Amino acid sequence: MKQDYFSANNIKHIDYKDVTILKKFLNPNGKIMSHKRTGVTSKNQRQLAAAVKHARFMGLLPFVAK
Amino acid sequence: MQENENNDKDIAILPETESGDSKVYELGYLLVPSITEEDVPTIYGNLKELVSSFGGVMISDEMPVMINLAYTMQKTVQNVRNKYNTAYFGWMKFYMSADKILDLKKKLDLDANVIRFLILKTVKENTIAAKRFVHKDISRKRTPMTKSNESEEVVPINKEEIDKEIDAMVAA
Repeated sequence: MKQDYFSANNIKHIDYKDVTILKKFLNPNGKIMSHKRTGVTSKNQRQLAAAVKHARFMGLLPFVAK
Repeated sequence: MQENENNDKDIAILPETESGDSKVYELGYLLVPSITEEDVPTIYGNLKELVSSFGGVMISDEMPVMINLAYTMQKTVQNVRNKYNTAYFGWMKFYMSADKILDLKKKLDLDANVIRFLILKTVKENTIAAKRFVHKDISRKRTPMTKSNESEEVVPINKEEIDKEIDAMVAA
């Protein structure tokens, strides 16, 4: 992913309930992928990280996947 | 002085509610799976009532649906530790004044039907876009395939018509 996924798809607010989108930015262990891998802007990367953490708290995403 | 003026402007933009300084909040919650399917709407209604009792004005919401949790959750109710692998997940968006939201949180903390909940500040616009973009990705991949097929289809040529057209052009 070279370009910012969120601005390419015109997503202004990253929602923690959008698990299908958030899963694109997790590695097989369920960790959040780095800035370098995602190619997302800094602002969106911060929003993304917060959204993933909220989704984890609500049991929508795992903290660790084996 | 200037700050006060700015605050007044912000309040004016927000819709009219009981108190001026209302913000948009989202409440996500997980309900205990021991509730039967028939009872879910009543509990969902009770939660809505609870929010509106604190002066909350609904924007959008979704019925709780049964989901498999990504990991096992624990909650102790009356000194009994309960474990959950499934739950009903639902959410609602609403306007509420900032000083009431803490009271709402205290009420929800005591609710035995709620395993967990999450209160977030958000915007009133719909923030879910998942389904639309999944379709977009598929269509993008397919378009080059269909285009190449279409170009191969040859329209049968009617020779007589072309001859007539050429004659007409020559005559002109």
